[in-house]
Amino acid sequence: MLKKIVKTNEFVTFLILVALSITIGLINPAFFSISMGFDVLRAAVVYCIMAFGVLLVIISGDVDISFVAIAAMASFTTHMLLIKMGYEGGILLYYVIACGLGLLAGLLNGFIISQFNLPVFNVSLATMTMWYGFTLFFIGATSNFDLPKGTVGYYANFIIKVQDPFVGEAGLHVSTIYVVVIGLFVWWLLKYTTLGRGIFAMGGNRELAVRSGFNIKLITFVTCAIVGVLAAIAGVTQGLLSRYFNPTLFIGQSLLDVLAAVILGGAAITGGRGSVIGTFLGVILVQLINRALILTGIPVEWQRFVVGVILILFISIPALHERRTRRLARTTELAEE
Amino acid sequence: MNMNIKSIVTGIKNGISSFLKKFRIESQTLLLVGVFAVLIVFFSLTEKGFLTTRSITSMGFQLPEIGLLSLAMMITILIGGINLSVNATANLAAVLAGFFMVKFIPQGAAESQIILYIALALLIALLVGFISGALNGLLVGYIGASPILATLATLSFYTGISVGLTKGRTVTGFPEQLSVIGSKTLLGIPIPFLVYVLFTAITYLLLNHTTFGFKARMLGSNPTASNFSGIDNKAITMRIYILSGIIAAISGILVMGRTMSAAYEYGATTYVLLAILIAMLAGINAGFGNVIDVFISATILQILSTGFHMMLAGVRGSSFFKDFSWGILLITIFVINYFTRGRKARE
Repeated sequence: MLKKIVKTNEFVTFLILVALSITIGLINPAFFSISMGFDVLRAAVVYCIMAFGVLLVIISGDVDISFVAIAAMASFTTHMLLIKMGYEGGILLYYVIACGLGLLAGLLNGFIISQFNLPVFNVSLATMTMWYGFTLFFIGATSNFDLPKGTVGYYANFIIKVQDPFVGEAGLHVSTIYVVVIGLFVWWLLKYTTLGRGIFAMGGNRELAVRSGFNIKLITFVTCAIVGVLAAIAGVTQGLLSRYFNPTLFIGQSLLDVLAAVILGGAAITGGRGSVIGTFLGVILVQLINRALILTGIPVEWQRFVVGVILILFISIPALHERRTRRLARTTELAEE
Repeated sequence: MNMNIKSIVTGIKNGISSFLKKFRIESQTLLLVGVFAVLIVFFSLTEKGFLTTRSITSMGFQLPEIGLLSLAMMITILIGGINLSVNATANLAAVLAGFFMVKFIPQGAAESQIILYIALALLIALLVGFISGALNGLLVGYIGASPILATLATLSFYTGISVGLTKGRTVTGFPEQLSVIGSKTLLGIPIPFLVYVLFTAITYLLLNHTTFGFKARMLGSNPTASNFSGIDNKAITMRIYILSGIIAAISGILVMGRTMSAAYEYGATTYVLLAILIAMLAGINAGFGNVIDVFISATILQILSTGFHMMLAGVRGSSFFKDFSWGILLITIFVINYFTRGRKARE
């Protein structure tokens, strides 16, 4: 049992995470504090929610990139609509409307992909461009800082608060609960439903999945819908946490951060492999790398360079390892012959 | 009567297909030319200023940068990979060449001396493209990393070098003579456009009329088969990524010549996605695709951008309508392809 756990990709990610934390902690002891932990978690919330959606697509053997645009479209459209109506209530209506919009956008992706038999990547590239253009042109091109009365205190709505020797009071934000709930849901979906098994089957061998009777079209539809809804939740959460809504939300680096997180969490970009816990660790890892650079005192202008070097190492080492295992397997095969 | 019409229709169909076969025109090219013609007619009817020398010249200056990036993207997709670092490579090449000019050209240098320095700077840019491409090729071909991940990492790496060297600032203060590359015309044709056409032609010849091009296509359509036919997959991958890096660097040179500056952030992620979008519009996928289609696709997006910019002048956020139209166009092309190719398969 223990041996099995040690061999998983998730465990490797976990080890890297621990090693990185210890290194940062040794250079800057301020790292080992509860407030720092809460801060990393808070920053990780929206990325986790989006990454869980993308995880499903990556396991099914494709890549979705439209989720960032769906997040921006759903959250910004909802916000502008509610502001125009003079809405003063709480956050619930925000999530309801945005999830509806996210669902529609996800279903549109699903419809095009399954109806015309296209790769998710191609279609999501088109819809991503389309949704950003739609939001910026039809809804508005500048960020909006008005907030309804009912949502104002939300950014400082903590589950628990602790006294921290470095920064005073620190708290764990309520939105962390969403991550737990959504994470459990996706985990359950992947492990205990036919749909989840179908997603793995599709990523492992598409042809075989079709032959074994999995409904590929339905699976595509559902995964796309889930990606859309989760993106919308992430978009609204980001808006409420940062206290403004932005039509260009997540444009640029965020997309790459989420994809890198899912892959670093042990999911195979070729499909068929990946897990919720690994994805969570991947997101935390990316957040830590970003923070490590600030905490360890590397000059700001060289931080991207260091991220690049770390990424190249992270990608090369497993690839080299895999290559070696394959060669070893071949040698044994030949020897047996 | 009915039979007659049917036979005429089949006759026309056969005629068209034999015409296409004779001149080796693919259906994708025909479709794109059709879209191109429709857009030209539409915008010249609705916008007076569209078909003027001035607007066509300005398109000729804007198109080459993104066109070359799409070309750099396209050749990697052709072998079943992708190169997300094209724009980072372009900016790194521009930044290093720019640094060289700013640091090394002495005050009050003679005209000929300055030109020599500029030539050296351009050589540096090409060298940067070569090395960047080689690193991508090493990661993808020899180490065996997934192309998306490897080039994602090098995207960060190359951008990181640019940011680090420039400390996030824009490099300026280039000699006046450099602007010839980016903003002058030759016989009324913008020089960037000539460079673009030249490199499109070179890539076309490389891919369609050499054994290297043939091997690259083979690798794209079936890597295992190409390996067993004695093709060195790793070496081909390496060469394709080097070529991709060099083309990207040329795009960087053109940007530098036009804006007379070099910045790490020019184009950002938008240009990368745009380059992929153009390749998708051209129907490029592993093993299949044509340089000409990429050329037409890039032109179509430029026309949409310029056309809608003119049409919506004065409307708030008008420059964002083009993104919306690009997305819709791409989906439309996908759907049309589905129907035309599906029919062919059924026949």
